[in-house]
Amino acid sequence: MSETAASPPRSRRGRWALVLLLAALPFTLLVASVVGSVSLSPRAVINSLLAAAGLPGSPSTLGPQGEAILWSVRLPRVLLAALVGGGLAVVGAALQSVFRNPMADTGLLGVGAGAALGAVLAVRLGLATEVFFALPLAAFAGALTAVAAVYVLAHASGPPSLHGLLLTGLAVSALAGAGTSVLLVATEEFRVKTVLFWLAGGLEGRSWTHVQLAAGFILTGTALLFALSRPLDLLSLGEDEAASLGLPVHAARMAILCAASLIAGAATSVAGAVPFVGLIAPHALRPVVGPLGRHLIPASFLGGALLVVVADIGARTLSSRIELPLGSLTALVGAPYFLLALRANEGRG
Amino acid sequence: MSTPATATPVLEARALSAARGGRPVLHGVSFSLHARAACALVGPNATGKSTLVRALAGLLPLTSGGVWLHGRPLSAWTRSALARIVALVATDEQGPATLTVHDRVALGRYPHRGPFRPLTGEDEQAVWRGLRHTGIEHLAQRRLGTLSAGERQLATLARGLAQEPQILLLDEPSAHLDVGHQLQLFRVLHEVRARGVAVLAVVHDLGRAAAWAEHMAVLHEGRLVAEGPPDAVLAGEACSRAFGVAVRRHAVAGLAHPLYSFEEVSS
Repeated sequence: MSETAASPPRSRRGRWALVLLLAALPFTLLVASVVGSVSLSPRAVINSLLAAAGLPGSPSTLGPQGEAILWSVRLPRVLLAALVGGGLAVVGAALQSVFRNPMADTGLLGVGAGAALGAVLAVRLGLATEVFFALPLAAFAGALTAVAAVYVLAHASGPPSLHGLLLTGLAVSALAGAGTSVLLVATEEFRVKTVLFWLAGGLEGRSWTHVQLAAGFILTGTALLFALSRPLDLLSLGEDEAASLGLPVHAARMAILCAASLIAGAATSVAGAVPFVGLIAPHALRPVVGPLGRHLIPASFLGGALLVVVADIGARTLSSRIELPLGSLTALVGAPYFLLALRANEGRG
Repeated sequence: MSTPATATPVLEARALSAARGGRPVLHGVSFSLHARAACALVGPNATGKSTLVRALAGLLPLTSGGVWLHGRPLSAWTRSALARIVALVATDEQGPATLTVHDRVALGRYPHRGPFRPLTGEDEQAVWRGLRHTGIEHLAQRRLGTLSAGERQLATLARGLAQEPQILLLDEPSAHLDVGHQLQLFRVLHEVRARGVAVLAVVHDLGRAAAWAEHMAVLHEGRLVAEGPPDAVLAGEACSRAFGVAVRRHAVAGLAHPLYSFEEVSS
């Protein structure tokens, strides 16, 4: 009898899924850099990337205009799409373990509503037009303020229950939403459009500065959540069991929520609302790689990155006249997917 | 064979009072669990059994009194040291549906591994021992979502065994089990005890509790109202009053344990 049985079949399947996602990402990033209103030659793009990395290859044949499009328009946008998608998916995966609910998403923390309020405030005060990065910075500040408010209010009478945390998040979100509406109504019409564009979620005209702004928080936060994989696994078993196995439940939960808020805040501040990514990517990958954090978190990052990079290709290319809002595209794909998944779930009982 | 070591309780509640959601539930409960004990905790519904078990596991803040483990107050133990000695197996709450039984049981090694150490050969052996003793080796690669409630309950017990504790606390371990699985469960508890583990289980079925346990404690309205050998406890007035029933004992030739029947008494 083999006690230390060979690695189970599913974990082998999970490993293959990870390898496949890992291989698909560079390919998708390349495709995303090539297509657009001006298409570039894939070979020329590869050569330009190789040259920039100091690796041997034929000299770039993109020409000055192509180089400019690739390096100052496409690449920052594509990388930002990957970071935002990966980050949101990881946050979804983590929150779903903490709240023990596959429907948990960034909305629970008040991140989206807080970011929106911050963004509208920046626009209303006219900051967004005067200071280049006022909008994302204000959105980030708004997101973190909302999370801090949820945290403080939920802790008002001792360590909160999951339920208390959830309801506090909803209440703070509703409050921030009300504030956003009031400000929007009171904002001059020509400025409202700036906010609406941001609220609709998108990556048009994002620069390397946006990438720098988001990358630090998203990558650090993801690394933190990956390091907290096993506490996440324990929390998904329920509070009593996690505590009886020696986990400091409240501290672990708060560390996870903090990391998740930084990621979600950074992603939302540069891209606006990109809904459903945090729901779909973990939901689709959990049956393949299993629910353990050490597999699900990297897989979700890759899956979410792929999803948003592809959605952003759609946003740029589906219509020749206008750029479609990225957030609407993810919702357009995400909502039906989710309804189907929900029905399949209920069918199984 | 009684040694001085067995005379000292391994886990002891002293004048323990605890509240849940602001409502006082336990009122000055003093209770001792000895090494190698097989103890059944019984009592009517909503009388504080689960609260007592959780307090003994160090999961609840107490309003007064305390819990001592190996003669030291629980507060003097680190969480992980405590979790290496005391395991709690509660009625199964739905874990992640896509988690495999093996991985679920392996989470029982957390007190030994901490957040970063990978699963060693020793851990892996403890996991498979837990699976084997609970008779669910064949389910190791199945996902929790595909199991019956009883099978999931056995997986939770296997997790508790993989933890390799000295004290095993169980809150209604037989709640979802059919009669075959119940017999299996109490056989497992018997074997666990034979290997030197002290077992305290909340049991609803008094007859089953009497057949398995060597010690029985009755909790009624947050107070310990009777304890001792099961046959004596069940024959006692306190037990009848707690449950509001008359207890009858039937010795049956050829059976190792007496059978019990219960009748309602009009109060």
